[in-house]
Amino acid sequence: MPTRTKRRLIASAIQAVLLFGMVTSAGAQGAPLSGYMEVHYNKVQPQDPVLDFHRFVLVMSHGFTPRIRFVGELEVEHAVVEGLEEGGEVALEQAYLDFLLTRSFNIRAGMMLIPVGIINERHEPPVFNGVERPFVDTVIIPTTWFEPGVGAHGEIGNGLRYRVLATAPLNAAEFSAAEGIREGQQHGAEANVRSFAATGRLEYLGVPHLTLGGSFWTGDSSFAVRGVDSAVRVGEADARYHRGPLELRGEFAHVSITDADRLNLALRRQTGVSPNVASAMRGFYGEAAYRIWNAGAPRDLVAFVRYENFDTQYRMPDGFVPLKLYDRDAWVIGTTYFPEPDIAVKVDYVRLTNQSGIVKTSHGLNVGLGWWF
Amino acid sequence: MKTSWPVLLGCLAVLLVMPHGVTVQERRVVRVSAERFSFTPSRIELRVGEEVDLVLTSDDTAHGFRIEGTDVDLAIPKRGPGEARATVSFDKAGRYEFACDRMCGAGHNFMRGMIVVREPEGRP
Repeated sequence: MPTRTKRRLIASAIQAVLLFGMVTSAGAQGAPLSGYMEVHYNKVQPQDPVLDFHRFVLVMSHGFTPRIRFVGELEVEHAVVEGLEEGGEVALEQAYLDFLLTRSFNIRAGMMLIPVGIINERHEPPVFNGVERPFVDTVIIPTTWFEPGVGAHGEIGNGLRYRVLATAPLNAAEFSAAEGIREGQQHGAEANVRSFAATGRLEYLGVPHLTLGGSFWTGDSSFAVRGVDSAVRVGEADARYHRGPLELRGEFAHVSITDADRLNLALRRQTGVSPNVASAMRGFYGEAAYRIWNAGAPRDLVAFVRYENFDTQYRMPDGFVPLKLYDRDAWVIGTTYFPEPDIAVKVDYVRLTNQSGIVKTSHGLNVGLGWWF
Repeated sequence: MKTSWPVLLGCLAVLLVMPHGVTVQERRVVRVSAERFSFTPSRIELRVGEEVDLVLTSDDTAHGFRIEGTDVDLAIPKRGPGEARATVSFDKAGRYEFACDRMCGAGHNFMRGMIVVREPEGRP
């Protein structure tokens, strides 16, 4: 699509969103137009520093009735989208209707976030520590992960909440050694649904201050690769504990891909290069944060440290050798300052190591400004 | 006029005992904390006719608190010293849902809870 046409489309989309906000603000409850933005400074050694307007997201909501609600989220990443150049993107991350029937059973349909992991459904900048999202929530769980479909959610008593979804599956033809399943998302762009993927999440909030979660995702993903039968399964568990100035969180995620050997061979025949897709990928992290200045904004400062381990070559199919540079560890240490509860000024230092004896360790400084309104 | 000592002592005893003997029922206070995307507690139990003070605070952004079927619709201020308060009572047993009605993020519609109102003990 020509650059000028794309720019016009983006401008039209943003105008439509703003118009929607103005039209509905008269009748709807609360603020129908909200959103979040984040701008980052990244200095990764030995590269030049970059200044990136990473995300500009507008969130729309509308209540047709108190029990039928619309939520939409339109995102521009990296500020500019141009022609065929690698760069930004415009994405419709959410656009669904919620039919709120009972506390235990509600129906959701449209473009939805996949409820796997901590960050995918909780990604507003003031909600997490660190300028960038955790590596595990980027490389192993492909945040922001969204697909169209239909599902149900509710609370079934004793602090248990669930979500189940049937959505478009991932496309295994886009998997890679470095980024795992991340690029396999179809994003509802004429998505192939020869078979549907299933997602489920169960959360336990029965103990004050503690949230425990577990998720699975399963789907046949080889529709674009002939003669291959690759099913992808994602299993995940997470925990968050928040009491007073202390917050602890941890997450574990495992991805398995069946028939990965034939998938690699078929993709090598198609493209001439083997993507070296693993048969299993794994990642986990633990984070401790403490509100060291706890006198209410603007005297509100959090310090945190996070350790992450993530490997997109964790198990290889027979005949394939793991690329050790993708077996990675990261230490992230930093602060989040809140001049106002919805504004986060973040600074962190990241040290990223890998198991390769050839590719060097990298480290970098990140500074970020993010806000929600 | 002469007042006998036994009468005086009796009056004094009544005065001393009365404050303890008269039952002054204080309203129960239920503190609810709001945080993306849940209320803690998310289930509140009351008796029919019982007046309860709800005190709502947020641990992050601003939230709403609306009880379906009532005119209770509060704005919970952002994290800080502020709080929202309401005194509620219900004259019918049943289940009353409450929900955040201010968009607070991707999981906003999950932010719901329930007030369970029961008949007073001894009443069917």
